[in-house]
Order: sequence, then C-alpha cells, then structure tokens
Amino acid sequence: MVAITRSLSPALVGERLSAVLLAATLGVGLLFVSGFAPVVALHNAAHDWRHSANFPCH
Amino acid sequence: MTKRLLAAALVAGFLAACVASVLQFALTSPLILAAEKYETAETAGPALAGRALSNPLIVLAHAGHDQAGHDHGGEPQWQPAPGLPRLAFTALATLVSGVGYALLLGAVLVATGRTVTPGEALKFGIGGFLAAGLAPAIGLPPELPGIAAAGLESRQLWWVATALATAAGLYLIAIRRGPAAIGIGLALLVAPHVWGAPHGPEEISAMPPVFAAQFAARSLAIGFAFWAVLGLAFGWAWGAVAGRTGHPVRSGVAA
Repeated sequence: MVAITRSLSPALVGERLSAVLLAATLGVGLLFVSGFAPVVALHNAAHDWRHSANFPCH
Repeated sequence: MTKRLLAAALVAGFLAACVASVLQFALTSPLILAAEKYETAETAGPALAGRALSNPLIVLAHAGHDQAGHDHGGEPQWQPAPGLPRLAFTALATLVSGVGYALLLGAVLVATGRTVTPGEALKFGIGGFLAAGLAPAIGLPPELPGIAAAGLESRQLWWVATALATAAGLYLIAIRRGPAAIGIGLALLVAPHVWGAPHGPEEISAMPPVFAAQFAARSLAIGFAFWAVLGLAFGWAWGAVAGRTGHPVRSGVAA
C-alpha cells in the first residue's frame, strides 16, 4: 500500500503523516470521552462498558 | 488516505462494537446488575453510599457519584434508565471506544508503513488487546461495581502508562527487532508491574467471589473478541474502501 501511494505522488508522504496525526488525535479524544472523562453524566452513560473494558471506573 | 483511514476505522469500530455489545449483554451486564444489588444492600441507601460504612477506607463504586454530586449541590445526577436505555448507552459507549481504538490501530498500522491486510491488522489488533486489555488487567483486574479500590486518578494514570509502555515494548520486540530493541522492549513490558499498580484496601464483600472471578474472565474474553474483530474488520474495510474509491486511480496509473 505504502509503495503504491509513494509511487503515485511524493506528497502522499506528508498526507500519510497528517492522516496518522488526525486519526491518533481523534482516537485519543473518543477514548477519553468514553473511557476516562470524569464528567458524571458521561461516566454514568458509559458505566457498564467502562467496567467490562476494564477502564478504571469510580 | 485520511478518508480511507477514517472510513475503515468507522467500519471496524462499528463491527467490533456490535460483537462486544452482544457479548456484554449476555456475559457481563447481568453480573454488573447482580453486583449492584449487593452494593445497595451493603449501604443504607444510594444517597448514603460511602458514608454509612463502618470502614471509611472503603471506596464504594457509586460513592464517586455522590462526591461528584457535591459540586452540583447534591442534585441527583443523570443516569440512563434501567433496562433498554441502559443497554443502549452501554452499546453507544462501546461504539465510541471501538471507533477510537480503530483510529489508533489504523494510525499505528499506517505509521509503521505496513501493508494493511486483514491478517496484518489482526496481529496489530492482538497487540492492542495485550497492551490495552491484558497488561493493565494484571495489575488492575476487571472489577465489578462495589469492590473497594484505590483512588481513581492514580489507577487511570497507571492504566494509561501500562498500556503505552506495553504497546511501545511490543513495537520494539516485534517490529524493530535487534538485541537492544528487544532488551528495551522487555524492560518496558515488565516495568509497570515492577512499579506496581495502585491498590485499595482489602475488604471482604458480601458478594459471592465467583461473581468477581467470572466477571474478570468474561471481561478479558470480551476484550479479546473485540480486538480480534477490530483488527480483522479494519484490514478488510481498508481494502474494501480502496476497492470503491481507489480503483480509478490505480487503473489510471496502470494505463
């Protein structure tokens, strides 16, 4: 995959970096909201999942 | 590539969340409900949780709600209604985490420059299970509500540090290779457990121990299924997304 994109355009190296950074930032944000956020309503909504997924809860 | 990564992560997160949600409803949610009965039976009532206990060191599961409630003048905090709404919010939280983990999985796969296939993504998914599921569970086993535990922030910090150290260790051992990388990798795998997870007071609960044992085993099993589906689905979706949007580009290059 990487070899193909590089052969298409050298600019894709930069695009690869931005894709990785965007995905990582979004991923960490979603995990924080669902697994770690101390907001009580978020905690209560995600309570059973936090226990099942072994996120520290309470 | 950004769109492809985001699309594949959405598909993989959705599929993994579907599987994990069904497994949770069948395996862990009934245990959580059973544990909450013991939890409320042990206290004089939800409003008094954590205060009506003879031992002030016990941090009961829902005592945290009351502490947080002080910020809002002791108003009852919103929580999903029992039954279907609660299951729906559990599934929603699973979906949000699923997409989040899938984005991180995709970011790591792309960053390491691997050819993304279902098999390769499955290997990384199993790595994700080891880093975010199994390794933290060694120090902080999956807990039912109502089990005494150390302070939340210290446990969250140890959890995140352990997941990151394990992921970095696996990367060094499995991808970097080389004697120095393997040595540092092994040290990273072991370090969080030598440091030690924060532990709460050891208390005897009225809840049958078999509940806690079943919950820990089932939680890890669900975690493995979740990560395996996440990896396989990400690899599949990565190819499927390209099949729809990437074909004209490739044929154009070939021509």
